[in-house]
Amino acid sequence: MAYRQTGWGWWLAAGALGAAVLFAVRTTRLPPADFTFVNGTEVKSLDPAIVTGQPENRLINALFEGLVRWGPETLEPLPAAAASWEVSADRLRYRFQLRPDARWSDGTPVTAADFLYSFRRFLDPRTAAEYAYQGWYVRNARRYSAGARGLRPGDRVEVELNRDPDDVNTLRGDMVRGVLAEVQDAAGRVVPADEWAAALAAPQTPLESWTFVVDRGGQRGRYRYADDAQAVAAPPAGVAWCRQVLLDFDEVGLKQLADDQLEFELENPTGYFLQLLGFYPLFPVNRRCVETHGAPQWTYPEHIVCNGPYVPQFRRLRDRTRLAKNDRYWDRDRVALRTIDVLAVESSTTALNLYLTDQADWIHEAPATALRALLDQQPPRDDLNPSTFLNTYFFLFNTRRPPLNDVRVRRALSLALDRSEIAERILAAGEQPAFSLTPPGIPGYDPPRCAAEDPAEARRLLAEAGYPEGRGFPALSILYNTHEAHRAIAELVRKQWQRGLGIVVKGRNEEWASYLSSQRQSNFDICRKGWIGDYADPNTFLDMYVTGGEQNNTGWGTPAYDGLIAAAARESDPQRRLALLADAERMLMDELPIVPVYFYVSKNLVKPHVRGFFNNIQDYHPLWALSLDRTRQSPNPFLRGRR
Amino acid sequence: MIAFCLRRLAWLAITMWAVFTFTFVMVRVVPGGPFDRERPLAPEIRRNFERQYRLDRSYLEQYWGQLTDALRGDLGRCMRIGDYSVREVIALGLPISASLGLLALAFAVVAGLAVGVLSAVFRGSPLDILLRLAATIGIAVPNFVVAGVCIVLFVFLIPLFPAAGWGTLRQLALPAFCLGAPYAAYVARIARTSLLDVLGQDFIRTARAKGVSQRRVVFVHALRGALLPVVSFLGPAVAGIVTGSLVVEQIFAIPGIGVYFVSAAFLRDWTLSMGVVLLYTFLLYSMNFLVDVSYAWLDPRVQLS
Repeated sequence: MAYRQTGWGWWLAAGALGAAVLFAVRTTRLPPADFTFVNGTEVKSLDPAIVTGQPENRLINALFEGLVRWGPETLEPLPAAAASWEVSADRLRYRFQLRPDARWSDGTPVTAADFLYSFRRFLDPRTAAEYAYQGWYVRNARRYSAGARGLRPGDRVEVELNRDPDDVNTLRGDMVRGVLAEVQDAAGRVVPADEWAAALAAPQTPLESWTFVVDRGGQRGRYRYADDAQAVAAPPAGVAWCRQVLLDFDEVGLKQLADDQLEFELENPTGYFLQLLGFYPLFPVNRRCVETHGAPQWTYPEHIVCNGPYVPQFRRLRDRTRLAKNDRYWDRDRVALRTIDVLAVESSTTALNLYLTDQADWIHEAPATALRALLDQQPPRDDLNPSTFLNTYFFLFNTRRPPLNDVRVRRALSLALDRSEIAERILAAGEQPAFSLTPPGIPGYDPPRCAAEDPAEARRLLAEAGYPEGRGFPALSILYNTHEAHRAIAELVRKQWQRGLGIVVKGRNEEWASYLSSQRQSNFDICRKGWIGDYADPNTFLDMYVTGGEQNNTGWGTPAYDGLIAAAARESDPQRRLALLADAERMLMDELPIVPVYFYVSKNLVKPHVRGFFNNIQDYHPLWALSLDRTRQSPNPFLRGRR
Repeated sequence: MIAFCLRRLAWLAITMWAVFTFTFVMVRVVPGGPFDRERPLAPEIRRNFERQYRLDRSYLEQYWGQLTDALRGDLGRCMRIGDYSVREVIALGLPISASLGLLALAFAVVAGLAVGVLSAVFRGSPLDILLRLAATIGIAVPNFVVAGVCIVLFVFLIPLFPAAGWGTLRQLALPAFCLGAPYAAYVARIARTSLLDVLGQDFIRTARAKGVSQRRVVFVHALRGALLPVVSFLGPAVAGIVTGSLVVEQIFAIPGIGVYFVSAAFLRDWTLSMGVVLLYTFLLYSMNFLVDVSYAWLDPRVQLS
């Protein structure tokens, strides 16, 4: 008996093994794509409104297209879904004429209504778009996306009523429009008008227990927040359930003038607004598709409707997304690559292996450990050309804590940093020492620099601050997130400061989420940080350090700096605006709540037969511009300026 | 037998509940949450995120809600992979990790037993010493080193296999070998020790005295008894091997679920963490149960009680 059992067991094991092999090789053999690139981590979603991040940027730009698109070399805004535009003299109004031949991948035209729908959906707090602030330049957009928290007495509002919980989750409820008359708190007390805005804006105020009284032309409606599932139950007497109360969308500065005409009205003359329209959060989505399938099902390749140069054929989670050329794309003649494989490969070493064995044509990040060897090869490689882009590595000082509250100490620490040593000893790809927060390369802007290395002056300043030869200087720590290079830099900086100033600092390593949490609570002395500019303008770096700014965890702030940033936002003359920002950066580099260390470089490896790939300051490389030249007859602009 | 199974089933429920509770508490105790970003979210957007995952309720409501959902088999939506639910992520990744794991396991058992038997039979010979050395190296060397060496050798120097990826037999070979190598080494060591133990027992001497051939003594009489420790090692090992390996999956870009055990925790994806922890608990428990049952089959002296 037992004998037979074991025999049977072997058959079972063999069967399981056979099944495993069959499963593993079950997918039909794919014809190779024209072009394959490694995109890093799997993208969070294909919905342009709800994602952030570089892998998402590369993929979504292939699928969707905004009013403008960026040129592959200088990133200038080019006509895309919009054929042309006019900007008013005060730079507050942008009027767009849509392209008559712009089409969705289902053949329907891309209209002004699509943009209106998509922009509203993007701002809707229920969409939970992390990047909502990219739309806040538009008049009242910020207040709209704050939901009830952005309301003030007397505002025109829209009340979104609940739907059946089983309805498609992307459908909006019925709308009730009116004027917000009063607000009652949890106890039923009418909150005086002057208190209410502040109370609502506080994140801890539970909106669910408040009552919103809306005047609908003499008739008063009382509304209280409820989820669709809760709203099935009868509301308390005299109250109606609603999903949310928002500023009336008519108050937001986006208007449809005709089926093919749109007008944006801005809060301030935002110099980089046109560029922002080519950034994926503001791309349109197809309303019919979104509302038929619901989220996230509408993003599935079998459902999705796009307006960009490519459509997804299939998506295998953490493996690959296959893109096929969108034959309805208006500029299809320009799109050279018919199929593209987007590989989700997390390890940069694996990516390099794939690239070196010709399984990928482009990897965006060669591993730092291999870069030095790759760059030292003779003759020089014809597929590698690191160049600086808008990405700075810097230290934050916690100016709430002594002795870092003393500007002399901060200056001394900066003067004692040997940035060249850091760049040369630890970093392998030609990273440049940084003396300003804003990297070079933004047209018309020459970033003001902080003082270069000067150990004698550093010691003098430290002595002046009361710590001669570093005596009595408290032990500080440098917080960094887990990464080999960050650890090495913190270690080298520790040595430099000990050598130059006689002070003792130590490294403090935390993994990413804890590091963010410590940073947010200003629970650090010195903290490493990297920042990639969201758009090609100094403002993306400088406005972080206004007093009380969301990312200003240094505790530093002066009204003068805030004034310069605000004045720059209001300034409509581009040159004067950049001059104001330069004044602000000069102030930042003088007070040094942050100390720039180095500018990152891009680390693309691109096969020599790829054309249309350029180094640029956002390290952004649109797929529609790429083509292949297998004969390698034409010059390769990617290698221009190679060291 | 039935009473044994029922009792084990009850303990499974209790274990799963305890692990659920522990995970629920742990993800909330560590600093940082799923909606922390470098630039903090606007309050109303954060509120809507939290509402979607019920995190705006009291801890008790969250606990009860997540527990009843889990009992219904609904593990919720991932917090960081927006387009998929936890169940979908597991359903897409587990078969991949499991099939790779089974291949690795087959390799581990076949190679491990062969080495173990040879070592035991030729005990003390140079072959034995060589094989034991190989097994020790297999255990001591971490698999990212094995993988690195394999890639240098068989991808770059002798281009036999592709560098990474999933979907063809050739792509399976290296990851299955790297995943299975340490297990093979363990199996070899355990098999050798236990086979030597059995070969020294009286019934083997009796069999030899009756003139049974060496091959029959080893493979029929001794090996079955010697398998018991191997099986008890393999039970928990199966649970580990079919749920994938972070290192092997990253190095060979395999879309399995091994990665999530670490990345979900780092990204504070609470729902996905819960999903993979519960899955692993279930598999580990089930495998240990199967080991106990197989004992009774392999060794008639064992009574299930």
